[in-house]
Amino acid sequence: MDPVELQVVIGALHAACEEMGAVLIRSAHSANIKERRDASTALFAPTGEMVMQAEHIPVHLGAMPAAVAAVRDQEHVPGRSWILNDPYRGGTHLPDITVITPVFAADEIVAFAASRAHHADVGGPTPGSMPADSTTLADEGVVIEPQVLDDEAIERLVAQMRRPDERRADLRAQLAAARVGATRIGELVERVGSDGVREVYREVLDYAERRTRACLAQLSDHGRQVWRARDVLEAREGDLTICCKATLRGDAIVLDFTGTGPQHPGNLNCPLSVTRSACLFAIRVLTDPDIPANAGAMRPIEVIAPPGCLLNARAPAAVVGGNVETSSRVADVVLGAFGRALGQGTMNNLTLGDQDTVYYETIGGGQGACPDRDGPSGVHVAMSNTLNTPIEALELAYPMRIVEYSLRRDSGGAGRRRGGDGVVREIEALVALRYSLITERRRHAPRGAAGGSDGAPGRNLLDGRELPAKSIGDLAPGQRLRIETPGGGGLGNPAKAGRLT
Amino acid sequence: MLLGVDVGGTFTDAVLLVDGRVLTAKAPTTPADQSEGVLAAVRAVLSRAGAPAEAVTAFSHGMTVATNALLEGRGARTAHVLTEGFTDLVALGRQNRPELYRLCAAWPEPLVPAQLRFPAPERTGPDGPLRELSEADAERVAEAVARAGVQAVAVTLLHAYRHPGHERRLGRALRARLGEEVALSLSHEVVGTVREYERAATTEVDAALSPLLAGYLRRLAGRCEDAGLPEPTIMQSSGGLIDLSSAAAHAAWTVLSGPAGGAAGAAHVARAAGTPDALCFDMGGTSCDVCVVDAGTVQEQGAGSIADRPLALPMVAVHTVGAGGGSIAWRDAGGVLRVGPRSAGADPGPACYGRGGTDPTVTDANLVLGRLASDAPLAGEVTLDLDAARRSVEWLAAALDLSPRECAAGIIRVADAEMLRALRVVTVQRGIDPRGYALLAFGGAGGLHAAAIAAELGIEEIICPSASGVLAALGLVVSPRRRDAQRSVLLTGDGLTGEAIAAVTTELGERARRELGDPRAGLAAVYELRYRGQSFELGVPGDLTPTPGWLRKRFEASHEERYGYRDADGELELVTIRVSATIPGPELTAEAGAGDGELIRSRRRVWLGGEEVAAEILRGLPAPGLTFAGPAIVELPESTLLAPRGWAGEVDAGATIHLRQTGR
Repeated sequence: MDPVELQVVIGALHAACEEMGAVLIRSAHSANIKERRDASTALFAPTGEMVMQAEHIPVHLGAMPAAVAAVRDQEHVPGRSWILNDPYRGGTHLPDITVITPVFAADEIVAFAASRAHHADVGGPTPGSMPADSTTLADEGVVIEPQVLDDEAIERLVAQMRRPDERRADLRAQLAAARVGATRIGELVERVGSDGVREVYREVLDYAERRTRACLAQLSDHGRQVWRARDVLEAREGDLTICCKATLRGDAIVLDFTGTGPQHPGNLNCPLSVTRSACLFAIRVLTDPDIPANAGAMRPIEVIAPPGCLLNARAPAAVVGGNVETSSRVADVVLGAFGRALGQGTMNNLTLGDQDTVYYETIGGGQGACPDRDGPSGVHVAMSNTLNTPIEALELAYPMRIVEYSLRRDSGGAGRRRGGDGVVREIEALVALRYSLITERRRHAPRGAAGGSDGAPGRNLLDGRELPAKSIGDLAPGQRLRIETPGGGGLGNPAKAGRLT
Repeated sequence: MLLGVDVGGTFTDAVLLVDGRVLTAKAPTTPADQSEGVLAAVRAVLSRAGAPAEAVTAFSHGMTVATNALLEGRGARTAHVLTEGFTDLVALGRQNRPELYRLCAAWPEPLVPAQLRFPAPERTGPDGPLRELSEADAERVAEAVARAGVQAVAVTLLHAYRHPGHERRLGRALRARLGEEVALSLSHEVVGTVREYERAATTEVDAALSPLLAGYLRRLAGRCEDAGLPEPTIMQSSGGLIDLSSAAAHAAWTVLSGPAGGAAGAAHVARAAGTPDALCFDMGGTSCDVCVVDAGTVQEQGAGSIADRPLALPMVAVHTVGAGGGSIAWRDAGGVLRVGPRSAGADPGPACYGRGGTDPTVTDANLVLGRLASDAPLAGEVTLDLDAARRSVEWLAAALDLSPRECAAGIIRVADAEMLRALRVVTVQRGIDPRGYALLAFGGAGGLHAAAIAAELGIEEIICPSASGVLAALGLVVSPRRRDAQRSVLLTGDGLTGEAIAAVTTELGERARRELGDPRAGLAAVYELRYRGQSFELGVPGDLTPTPGWLRKRFEASHEERYGYRDADGELELVTIRVSATIPGPELTAEAGAGDGELIRSRRRVWLGGEEVAAEILRGLPAPGLTFAGPAIVELPESTLLAPRGWAGEVDAGATIHLRQTGR
């Protein structure tokens, strides 16, 4: 394929994925998808290889292929879609529901259109399905094994979740996104034929592989080929260790997590798909994000995590914190190995609710400093990039009041380049509410690099009394939760910055 | 005589309407003080008409003073007073980072730095004040602000869209302490809608830019008075004109003044050409602006953003794509031909401008393929150097292992695909099916790319005005005068009644008419509705006294059209009501736009659709009634229109060219 035709089809596939994402976001009901855009869309070859993805949320990056692999070999008929959320069969954590639709031309499958969206609730004992204290998957909500998604399945599934009307609408939005993807692939088949489409996929994957290899070959600094780093997660029972050895082999890289602690009784476990996503995120940061995020770009990247360890957990280990928090730490340990100052390293997951109400939010913090500029303040730093909920919208809809929302000054680490500052968010319950906090970097600070200072660790306070990083409990009316999110690490000796803190 | 003057990046265009005839003139834009170029263009067009300044009865003006200041992050020294505990609202934004993988990419800095953010000791909730702001508190805040020595003050308090009492109290205290010279923007007045970050950021822009804009408008008004011209009315982002002193007080209303004029001109052309539904495609040197005209009216949006800053105010819905004639073609690390996002801009410009540029651009590719003429200056200004264009393309062609011609054709294809990709997403987001629309191509390069894009979108008719350069100035002349008033009401359930709606629309309507200075101005409303729990609204236009049942019907039809479903059980919520008072602009007859009809016809070898063809070349201004068949190229004074084989052209009475697909 010539260099013009290839770029034109890359553009067309990218456009199709973006259009799917636009349809999904515009048609969904829940704020989680519409306003926070916690969703991704992708197109796959019939082989199950991801060809193109519209990226909204990095944590979905490497995890969609596992979902398509889980249904690829089923018997497919036109118009019949599949659904799953089982972390051990193609999913990540239960709130992320994936819908997969085979695309047919004549009677042959020419693609799979897939979308993943974070639903605000998938049942289980805790409103919002993000419990801080889960120990098995069953504590976290309804486990959907790969199955056909028809009207009967929709009704059966949403009946087990809170706000079934909203869940139903969100699932329909996912189906609508798949229809757009199918239409665009259909147009491509009309133009180049079904053999032509296969050639397009091959070329697009090879292209991404070529570009990734070219970037990886340049990662080596003065011939160095091996990098090591370790970091910890703050489990309820104590610190859990994550180890990474990165080995550059020419223009390919191996990320080996051997030595990482075993899966634990809490919910910080990751299925391998989440670990892969986090690794791909870090590699994308270190290489060139302009490369299409597809199976080709992943070919030169090998991820090793021994079965049964924290980063390749076995069923039925609980995983809800793994997706949101451990994934951030995996990205940190890879970025840290390559000398980067670290960001807040947590999403600060807060769920508040009762039987009638569920409110879930994540809170930004400080970004680690970059070689060329200071780390931004009050932003999501790694595996998430969702929007906040406006205070006025929140107070109109939920029985709670925000007492303070501000930058946490001087929480960023000093350095030649400064780490970004964290955020203060204080919430008062107006009725009795149950809270669930899944946070990190409360005991260990985000590290600076090359002489830069660490960022300040975060704090969780209930009426001024400090709470652990993972906690669950009840708020009486008038009680206040105050979350102070971590600052980012600084980079380089601060004496050279010309301004000190 | 009606006068319109639009300030563009390079030229300031003037249009004068005399006895149904359109006269035009241009002058170089004067960036240091745009009013100099404005007056120069006015003098030029008046001398063409042989008319004195006193004969001008109305003067409308579009400018880029506020836009440029915002793009450069330049504002007056401004204080922002916010609810205590929330002074960092603008800095915090929506907590997302602008780029997923470039971790330190940052949003633009707030216009008000941390040391100029002042807490107001108050708190208002959804149902009213929770912590009272006393007069003494307000005076203390005003005193602190006064000590900071600022030229402008913004005030944003939580839930003020619904309970503005504390903002008003602060406003009075600030005015009393700071006097009339300091610009003052209260969020409930300037914006009036729910969602604190967007409201605060918009109010901040309004305050920080108003002193700059007021200075410019004062100079302009002075020059106009000296010249004997009437005081100009100013184009707003919404596509309506307001009086000069209102514009000076509220810079946020005119941030998209320039594009709004262009969109108004496009809508005028679409109406006059008999294609009231049009997808408008304005491609210039560095970017391409897209807007949608429905039933002769430019689509608006209740809010948008410019230069990565949100603006929660009604504006013409113009989407900008970073692909233009100056977009640079290159080979990426994977060996693929890419176009943009880097642009050669106007300086040095494409290689063929001969100003030192060596990278091949879309314009160079058009020239190499013969789609642009090498023997006539572009837009009457720039003489094109074909050899320089060839050299730039040859260099890239060698790197890609293509022939120069294949490479040039490839640059065009890739650029078309980039624009198509943006248009697809825009049409989904706007909820339109492009197949029912005409493609209105303008700007220097729009006509060169229109046919390829129309074919991909399934569009069968292209229209192209013969006077493309002055479209925005023409738009200014025909635009209505308009004033908007909006407020978030959040009515739902039993609270959503015809009476409740009418009470708000009556009040907003009276305010809009009063501010427009015409008690009989026409009123129309837009109702921003959603199903309860959704966080996006859909605007439903209507009169001032709709029933909830009627709103529901219109909303659901619109929801289904755009999102593919309706929710019969969903509870309806009326979030925001916007009322606009308008006084319509003059109706121009179709003939008014006609040119002089001088035309030179010839033939040239052109590389089109993978083959070399002998295309008919029509150079000059085609007269009404003229027909031609593709392959043909119409070289208009300021733009070029390409008709491939299978398209036929016809010039209508208003000198607008229609291209229709005739089959292959």
